[in-house]
Amino acid sequence: MTETRPLAGRSAVDVSPVRTALALVVGWLVPGAGHAVVGRVRRGVLFFLLVMGSFGLGLAHDGRLALYSPRESFLTGLQLVANLGVGPADAFARMNVYGGPVYAQRDESDRSKGTVIETFRTRQRSDVSAYGTAYLWSAGLMNLLLLMDIWDIAKRRKD
Amino acid sequence: MRGHFANLVVYSAIIATFFAVLTRRDRREQLRFGGLVWLSMVGGVLVLAYLMLPFPR
Repeated sequence: MTETRPLAGRSAVDVSPVRTALALVVGWLVPGAGHAVVGRVRRGVLFFLLVMGSFGLGLAHDGRLALYSPRESFLTGLQLVANLGVGPADAFARMNVYGGPVYAQRDESDRSKGTVIETFRTRQRSDVSAYGTAYLWSAGLMNLLLLMDIWDIAKRRKD
Repeated sequence: MRGHFANLVVYSAIIATFFAVLTRRDRREQLRFGGLVWLSMVGGVLVLAYLMLPFPR
């Protein structure tokens, strides 16, 4: 069994449980900000640019803002997790694209949902939608990895 | 940016930079690792595209 030893240097500074929790919440709300809370400001700025750059490119390329469907619950659930990883930016994007924070496909006979599904399908027909989807999901998954990185920094497993 | 190759280059650059900064601390190590990831992604796709050339849609 490997033993995790606290690192020397900057990482030896204790990060309290409250600060860790704050960093995780803030890190989800604003990608990279969690790193700033635990004292890694420059790294946090770079991560913000990378995650939000990827997210912006995803929107510009008509990426898929996933809608949960009970018919394909596992796959659409995973897609939704990838989208939600980026934080509230995803909700703002949905408001802009779908006209509201819509996360699920419901009964297609529902008139208000009909336009959402129509928008969803129109975006998917774009030539570059596959790239957009890759950018969007990567942004969310990168931010989830960043939260794990914050946890490791707080637990002194990483610098 | 509607070109396939441009998207490949940019996407690979984002992913390579992200993982280089996330997993490496030394600047030289970051550059080496990031460069390797970027080259692997772009090179891998080009090799795969070349191999698929005899099988058009």
